[in-house]
Amino acid sequence: MAEAFQARDKLAFLLSLVPWLMEHDGASVQSAAEHFGVSVDQIRDAVQLIAVSGVPGETDSYQHEDLFDINWDAFEERDEIVLTNLVAIDDSPRFSAREAAALIAGLQYLSSLPENADRASISTLMSKLSRGASAEPSQMAVEGGQTDAALASTLALIRQSVDTGVQLELDYLTSAGDRERRRVDPLRVESFDDDWYLRGWCHLREAVRTFRLDRISNAVITDAPIEHHADDVRLPDRLFEASPDDLEVTIEVAVAAMPLIADYIPDGAVSETHGDRIRTTLRVSHFHGLKRLLASMAGMATVVAPPSARAAVAAWAEAGAARYR
Amino acid sequence: MSPSSAGMRIPVEERLFSLVLALLATEAGLTKNEILSTVQGYRQRFRSGGDNANLERQFERDKDDIRDLGVPLETLESPGDAGNNQNLRYRIPRGAYELPHDISFSHQETVLLNLAARVWREGSLSGESRRALLKLRSLGMTADEPMLGYAPRVRLRDASFDPLSSALDRHLLVKFPYLKPGEGEAREREVIPLALVQYQGRWHLCAEETGFGAQLAGERKMFLLRRIVGAVRTGAAAPDRPGDHAAEALDDLEKIWQHSVAEIEVNVATDAATRLANRRGTEELSRSADGVTAHLRLHFVDVAILADELAGFGPEVFVLSPKELRTAVVDRLTRTASDHG
Repeated sequence: MAEAFQARDKLAFLLSLVPWLMEHDGASVQSAAEHFGVSVDQIRDAVQLIAVSGVPGETDSYQHEDLFDINWDAFEERDEIVLTNLVAIDDSPRFSAREAAALIAGLQYLSSLPENADRASISTLMSKLSRGASAEPSQMAVEGGQTDAALASTLALIRQSVDTGVQLELDYLTSAGDRERRRVDPLRVESFDDDWYLRGWCHLREAVRTFRLDRISNAVITDAPIEHHADDVRLPDRLFEASPDDLEVTIEVAVAAMPLIADYIPDGAVSETHGDRIRTTLRVSHFHGLKRLLASMAGMATVVAPPSARAAVAAWAEAGAARYR
Repeated sequence: MSPSSAGMRIPVEERLFSLVLALLATEAGLTKNEILSTVQGYRQRFRSGGDNANLERQFERDKDDIRDLGVPLETLESPGDAGNNQNLRYRIPRGAYELPHDISFSHQETVLLNLAARVWREGSLSGESRRALLKLRSLGMTADEPMLGYAPRVRLRDASFDPLSSALDRHLLVKFPYLKPGEGEAREREVIPLALVQYQGRWHLCAEETGFGAQLAGERKMFLLRRIVGAVRTGAAAPDRPGDHAAEALDDLEKIWQHSVAEIEVNVATDAATRLANRRGTEELSRSADGVTAHLRLHFVDVAILADELAGFGPEVFVLSPKELRTAVVDRLTRTASDHG
């Protein structure tokens, strides 16, 4: 199966590369690699394969005129790609139904960003993708453009802060319940489904921090210039970095609920399956986040150890239940 | 596959590429026999007058792979010889293969499409969008990085997504065990899949109940993928159901969301107040005289999911209505407290 996928990617690459080479006579291997976002070796391998490929032809025996050909001297001595004979392919291929559907659904999702609020141009683009597909795009859609006004205005302020190069000031409520005024140099906006995050340099903490957009309020543009730019700061891949002060908590989770906690499981954590439950380890910076997470997964997940974590979750849920008595 | 029949092994991509070139170059089409005996990658293993069953199966798989890439591989019956499989002819019509000439993408559109492709990082759609970008780059447009980086992602964590989306494309019936909230055991469902939609961060399958053993036949239903608790199996060919089901499904969910309202009380200084106020559609109806609590009205689609969310806020939230939601939240909090007692 893995090989089949690889071969499909390679075929899509070959069918895409040929028309580009036709339009870019004498392109360097380097420029082709940059354009397609692949290695120079991948380009060289593909060009060598194209150069000996073709159609069976009238004689059914792949005669010289039935094959693509390249200027081998230019290729081998100067790393330049010059096609000297062309067969069968004239133009770029259409998108498949699923490829078009993936891009269309991606665009629907992006229309929640305020700068993509121009519906007309997004829908023009979607219809181009539809027309450019070899079959009707798959029935798939993602809700988009329904962003809450508060979230949209925070996103717009972040954009303005970066465009004008000034810091953003905002109220941030931590999961521990502390509200603090922070000044931030925005670096990147990230999202998972409906959850939006700002990653930025926090001047209060003097470090890169991740802020949930729905925990931000009273954001304003300041007149202090931004000190840290996206190009200068290496952002860790994970939204929430592990810290040596993190607490380890052992929990038991229903197999079906594992995806809900995947973000909290550190790399290399040992998971054991007990029937339809999995016992694994979470890392949390404090119990405030843990008690909220566990209370939202009643019956699906239980803290096993340490006892202090169990007590924190029990107290949180009990305090909630007590309000109804 | 036997090494004796192939002097040198032809890589898979060379065989597939040669097949596409050969079928693009033919007007009249090629028969299977012509393909197997002449096209690079097959001809090396072809046994004239012998048994080519393995090679024929290879060709069947290759056809599927090529079609999955969006290459319109056509089958023609020979005139006067309909129904004879050996005389079927295969070709790729140029007009259906090539991107129409009037389709081009501006610089700004290319930037947007690159970002749209990066929305998918998991599951089969990451491969689809990777291949879509290759085709886009084929047209020559490049996209530079915007000043403020965006990394928007849609998750595909439900194990049932890939098999359902593949069944949807192949127009097949599907069966799966579905666990409704409040029911102790999952029930087996057989449906005609119509669309997959993500609404408020959750994937839903819009489907039609089949007629087998159900008085619900013909009724359109929405299934939450996270409640599909076992393997998805495909069945017979599904009857044709034309229409824009994806858009209709999103409209249906939006209507349910509009009509379903909950009223709650929150302590204003808490995480619950901040996050619920930032949720689409939340209205603050009133605030207590001392300013400590706010009375909010929220919209929702699914009582059980809203109950999970609200239970997470513990004592920060007090549910006023509907009663069903209130009961569900109390049950959850009581359960969590006793599981950890």
